[in-house]
Amino acid sequence: MLRRPLALLVAICLVHVLLISSQVQSRSGMPVLESVAFGALARVQGAVAGLADAVRSTWSQYFALRGVERDNAALRQRVLELEGQLQAERARASSARALEEALRLQQETTVRTLAARVIAGNPAPGAMTVTIDRGERDGVAPDMAVIAGGGVVGRILGRPAAHWARVQLLIGRDAGAGAVLEASGRGGFLAGGYGDGLYRLELVSPLTPVTVGEKVVTSGQDGLYPRGYALGTVERVEGEGRDRVILVRPGVDFSHIEIVLVVLALPPDPDGSARVPVRPVAPDRGRRRP
Amino acid sequence: MKLLPILAAVFIAVVLQATLARYMVGGRWVFDLVVVGVVFAALQQGAVAGMLAGTIGGLLQDSLSGGILGVAGLTKTITGYVTGGLGTRFVVVKPYARAVIVAGATLVNRAMTIGLDGILHQGWPAVSSVAILGETAANAVAGLAVFWAAAALPGVLARGRFRRRSSWSRRQW
Repeated sequence: MLRRPLALLVAICLVHVLLISSQVQSRSGMPVLESVAFGALARVQGAVAGLADAVRSTWSQYFALRGVERDNAALRQRVLELEGQLQAERARASSARALEEALRLQQETTVRTLAARVIAGNPAPGAMTVTIDRGERDGVAPDMAVIAGGGVVGRILGRPAAHWARVQLLIGRDAGAGAVLEASGRGGFLAGGYGDGLYRLELVSPLTPVTVGEKVVTSGQDGLYPRGYALGTVERVEGEGRDRVILVRPGVDFSHIEIVLVVLALPPDPDGSARVPVRPVAPDRGRRRP
Repeated sequence: MKLLPILAAVFIAVVLQATLARYMVGGRWVFDLVVVGVVFAALQQGAVAGMLAGTIGGLLQDSLSGGILGVAGLTKTITGYVTGGLGTRFVVVKPYARAVIVAGATLVNRAMTIGLDGILHQGWPAVSSVAILGETAANAVAGLAVFWAAAALPGVLARGRFRRRSSWSRRQW
């Protein structure tokens, strides 16, 4: 009686193992199943998130704090936009400091952003990605930087669907960014994926002085994130010399991300040539903006 | 074996998981409602149903998370099969007893996920025992609520029908 289910289990497990093996060998492009499931379920997620937001906003706007919440939301949106602009300005200022990279300066001066709403978290616990309600049709392309008020959130992971995209958070495993200590201007690599929710700033020379509270910004050298965007602040420094570990507190509160800004420009390639998005930016067709 | 309830249980679990995970991105609170859905299908309809629920739910989870397709599918398939097998051998009816099975299934599923992760990334991931215990507790509570609701629902519906019938009889009299 048990033999047939057991045979079925073995067959299914074998299929899974083959599936995993095929991806581990080569992970180019988005698999068909992934593409279909992501496209279809993202639509449901958008509707459920909208419903959840509607219930939440009904409660908070009409029962909890009538009227105040609405003003607050508008102000938060405005603050976010201004913070985005501030970061763009900071990026420009940082670029100005690097006058020797005069050619790159020309490419980094204009940064366009697109507001997006986070509609779903990751259904797999521990995996640090979120889904946003902007996709390829809105001009979103793979590897574009995603920022919020506090700094860099992450990057667009894989090819986006028409109206949805997945964002790899910087605190996730396998995530990282080229970073610079703002005070000293010394570079390193900021890595996520630690259980304590802090980044680790690696590849910094042991001779470089690091002070607690020092700001860490993107270096623009990784080919993903534009230069000068806030990453976080140095929380503490453990050990000395080669064993020194620099822990950085993220500038973004990852436990609560609602609205983010997608930087609609890819940073230039390390050789200096401009990168072009996969598809041209389509005009906004009246879709609801958060 | 009815396929529709299995699909419904898994689909609701995946949508709920993704929706609630949106508010808990930082990882302070971890839960896996898909495991609850898989255990629900397994205990209600047996090992094969649990296995199918695990396969569908796990693959959906994988495809939405952007990770390697098949990891959650494999672990949840095995979890569903084992849970369904246990459910048919030992008759477990009480919601709290089923919640304990959910807790056990969560631990087994997490252990397999960590093991596979370690093999695929050729290095052990940073594991927080507090997070694992938190996930186990959260899933057990969710399982208790689901099984309690599933046990109470037929009684509530029957009482409703009885009330409507008796009210109709009085009107006729």
